[in-house]
Amino acid sequence: MPGTSEQITRLREEGMAAIAAARSESDLLDAKGRFFGKKGAVSGILKGVAALPMEERKAVGERANRARAELESAFDARLAEIREKERHRSEGRERIDVTLPGRGPMPGHRHPVSQTMSDIISVFRRLGFSVQGGPDVEKDYYNFEALNFPPDHPARDMQDTFYVESATGDLVLRTHTSPIQIRTMERMKPPVRIIAPGTVYRSDSDITHSPMFHQVEGLAVDRDITMADLKGLLTEFCRMTFGPGKPLRFRPSYFPFTEPSAEVDIQCVICGGSGCRVCKESGWLEILGAGMVDPSVFGFVGYDPEEYTGFAFGMGVERIAMLRHGISDIRLFFENDIRFLSQF
Amino acid sequence: MKIPYSWLKEFIDTRLSPVQAQEALTMAGLEVSSCRFLGEGLDSVVTARILEMRPHPNAERLSLCKVTDGSSEYGIVCGANNMKPGDAVALAKIGARLPNGVEIKKAKIRGQASEGMLCSEQELKLAEASAGIMILPGDTAPGKPLAEALGLSDWLLEVEITPNRGDCLSVLGVAREIASITGKKVVLPDVSFPEEGEPIGEWVRIAVSDPDLCPRYTARAISGVTIAPSPDWMRRRLTLCGIRPINNIVDVTNYLLLEVGQPMHAFDLDRLRGARIDVSAPKETLTFTTLDGSERQIDPGTLLIRDAEGPIAVAGVMGGANSEVVDGTTRVVFESAHFSPSSIRRTAKRLGLSSEASYRFERGVDPAGTVYAADRAVSLLSRFAAVSVARGVIDVGGENVKPRTVPFRPERATRIMGRVYAPEACLEIFGRLGFPVADNGTGTWNVTVPTHRFDIEREIDLVEEVARLSGYDVIPTTYPESKAPEFSEDDRFVDVQERAFDFLRGRGFSQAVNFSFVAGRTWERLGAFLGFDPADAVRLMNPISDETTLMRPHLLTGLLSNAADNVRRFVDDVRLYEAGKAFGKSYVEGHFEEPRLGVILCGKRLPGDWSGADAPADFFDMKGVVEPLLLHLCASPVHVVPTRLRPFFEEGKAADILRDGEVVGWFGAIRKELLASFELTGPVFYGEIRLLKATALPPPPGLYAPLPKFPPVFRDVACVFPTRVPVGDVLAMVREVSPEVEEAGVFDIFTGEKIGDGNKSVGIRVKLQSLDRTLTEAEVHSIYSKIVNLLENRFGGKIRTS
Repeated sequence: MPGTSEQITRLREEGMAAIAAARSESDLLDAKGRFFGKKGAVSGILKGVAALPMEERKAVGERANRARAELESAFDARLAEIREKERHRSEGRERIDVTLPGRGPMPGHRHPVSQTMSDIISVFRRLGFSVQGGPDVEKDYYNFEALNFPPDHPARDMQDTFYVESATGDLVLRTHTSPIQIRTMERMKPPVRIIAPGTVYRSDSDITHSPMFHQVEGLAVDRDITMADLKGLLTEFCRMTFGPGKPLRFRPSYFPFTEPSAEVDIQCVICGGSGCRVCKESGWLEILGAGMVDPSVFGFVGYDPEEYTGFAFGMGVERIAMLRHGISDIRLFFENDIRFLSQF
Repeated sequence: MKIPYSWLKEFIDTRLSPVQAQEALTMAGLEVSSCRFLGEGLDSVVTARILEMRPHPNAERLSLCKVTDGSSEYGIVCGANNMKPGDAVALAKIGARLPNGVEIKKAKIRGQASEGMLCSEQELKLAEASAGIMILPGDTAPGKPLAEALGLSDWLLEVEITPNRGDCLSVLGVAREIASITGKKVVLPDVSFPEEGEPIGEWVRIAVSDPDLCPRYTARAISGVTIAPSPDWMRRRLTLCGIRPINNIVDVTNYLLLEVGQPMHAFDLDRLRGARIDVSAPKETLTFTTLDGSERQIDPGTLLIRDAEGPIAVAGVMGGANSEVVDGTTRVVFESAHFSPSSIRRTAKRLGLSSEASYRFERGVDPAGTVYAADRAVSLLSRFAAVSVARGVIDVGGENVKPRTVPFRPERATRIMGRVYAPEACLEIFGRLGFPVADNGTGTWNVTVPTHRFDIEREIDLVEEVARLSGYDVIPTTYPESKAPEFSEDDRFVDVQERAFDFLRGRGFSQAVNFSFVAGRTWERLGAFLGFDPADAVRLMNPISDETTLMRPHLLTGLLSNAADNVRRFVDDVRLYEAGKAFGKSYVEGHFEEPRLGVILCGKRLPGDWSGADAPADFFDMKGVVEPLLLHLCASPVHVVPTRLRPFFEEGKAADILRDGEVVGWFGAIRKELLASFELTGPVFYGEIRLLKATALPPPPGLYAPLPKFPPVFRDVACVFPTRVPVGDVLAMVREVSPEVEEAGVFDIFTGEKIGDGNKSVGIRVKLQSLDRTLTEAEVHSIYSKIVNLLENRFGGKIRTS
């Protein structure tokens, strides 16, 4: 039955054309139904194979089966194409502008002084120091006397003091966080390794002095603590705070509660030591004061200076924050201008 | 203290250049903050004489001057008019670069060539301001470098003297420091002079009644004095050091103060009543006029110098008008005394009067130096003035001045410094200092300290001398032996604060830092709104300004003015927080201070939002920060209750936060009166947390609860309540209805006509759950009925059926 084989060829071609012409999944399914689905024309021929003469059965069957297989594979390919196109189309419809800002607030900002203080604290905590606090409104005894500032001593002029009204007349706003040294040593026996961060007050106001500012003070007391240990510790601190390769300079100075005492200078972080306005052409920046605990201070807290030695150091947090960020006017820190704060 | 280098060189023949001396002194503990050449910028400025002057042909205000420097003549166009032919002037030649940065070039001014410039004192930075050009003394020879003519070929060192080194408040003291550093010896000027007058004891008798306050009193007397200006060189040095020249007598005393550090005073001998001086501290209150013309009240116990009838000087602080040297003075007594530092300091503080003399006495003066200073004064004076010196010197208490002996162990220096200081090295340093050492072989030396080093009393002071003069740069760097660090309460507090800062940062808040002191004026004016109790205020006795008179009772005003400032700068969406202390009085310990955390919020709920959610922030935005912050920090439940105790909040928009029944914070909408006084308009929300109370005793880690294995059931109920019913209370009680009520929450609230005025409709969703079984319909119904019953009977609700 040559008619059958031609019919298969025709159906295959028509089927192929319908598949190619299909624009959607439903067009395609429609084509499948017409040509090679269960009730499609090709399937119909296959069902009729049994009725054919024996000699034709095999040939027609093979032909029809091949045609169906080819149509099915064209169908699958076209289906994939159509789905891919459809996916593209719907993606275009649902695509969003990912560059728009997200919902919810962007993070706020740490105050540069508070951030600097936290950084200093965490350096010393890593080096084995523990935090101690104390009152801002302090007794004269802790702020001065036990730190070896006798009454009527000119060393008291080093720190312009705010006095607080009180019945006892002995209250001041602490001028440094050093009173915490005394309070701590009164409370515990060596070994002592503490840092004392806090707010301090001095009656002084210009572009580098603020009547309130922040300090971090440190104290280590033990058997055999030396000035060499102090040098090592502060060298490590400066490396961790200002980065490596910044030479330090220790020069003799005076604080009533330490002896020998030192001022510590770091090579100017602005000019690298060649001299500039910030370091007043000296190439050095003073960043902290330090020294070996004066034996009279041990006398006030009942430590035996022949048994124990110790060192203490203190630094102004604003000063370090100003150097880190190149800020020249200390008053900016206390204006809380969001345009300033958002830079940190 | 300012020291001309040439003066220093008179006391020590050092090879150090001024800049090297600056470095050496600084590294030995005497910080030299500046070292400058006085003739800086005067290189091509010379003295010149004006030969002739005529008006500029093309400019009314200018003149043409012909000047000479002795060898050449120059035509100069000049804008000043204070000079005349014959005047000696300062000529900046072509090529000069003046101290003010101006470079002098050959120029034509309105058609006339100008071959230099005639300078003013201001242009030469010799004065702050000047009218016209500088006119030099008539006898100035032309052609000399101006620096030389003005004595400016010198360097000026500015030395910062720490309070322990009063001995260095003089040229001699700094020279001694250079000697200690370099090993060179200090040379004292010769002080010989003829003593031709009568014995001093015939002119004046001196008694010290309070030797504790005045251990030594030395005097010299002269006659035949003619009061006149002192020589130029002396006047110049005084001026360079910041002391105004007065006359030859007063200038000599000031010169000695600067040179050897001994404050001196000159009395007009003929004005002393009874020709006697008595040093004593009277027990009664007096009034006295000091030589600055002020009448002062003198408290009992103040050390005074008195003549036969009354006070003539406040000892060591300031002389009196009644005995000072005047134009007609012919006989003078020079006082060169030693006073107790603490007595002088008390007097100076009490009188509010600090002088060069009191400054030095407070910091200590060499008790052995009084006679030398008096002799040096008389000797200097006799060189440039015809005076007759009374024979002899009065010296009360001189016999008591003895050097101190201080023990020293070289091993101790090594132990403190962490570096070996060999005995020979220590000996060498004491040698440079001029401290004789006796080593009796016990390992402890006896070091004799001269009287000018009154700061050295203990072994540690000698250790410091050895360390600083060896240089701190030779100390090695080692590390303290490590120990397991403590974890203190304050360590925990620091961590809590960091967590709070991180949380707030994530919520878009930035950190503020305000002063702990606030303007008492503002707090008193707004007291009723700030909840301010004046009786509870911690006040400063000496505030630096009106803005800093009392310690803040809470953190609100700082943040509120920060918000106002930012809004004024067009930053409308303000989210700030601050951690700091609040202060008040306590009846137990006098005062208290408490760490607080303040949070302020105004502007939009979601700044920068583009999706229509840019509504203004409200109360619940603040609650939505403060409450989760507390949960984040303290990990134990908190309760928010309405409060009427915070007058800074609007009524009905204020809440307290309780933890275990204790108030740990509060938040709300700032009341309108406060907003108005800070010039804020929109609503502002504020919260404050008592950090220690909120985070004290964190609960121990809780035990895990098994997860449910059976499905939950959800039920919604809509109910109309009177507006005043607190939904928080309703939810709390719903949760208590049965153990199977796992959660109760609000999904909807509205008001409106439909449900009647004074009512609100609240949609509540409950989640019912049992751990050991699936709930049956009957069980669910029973619980639901109990809930409905509660809402209706306990809270006056009416269930809505849709």
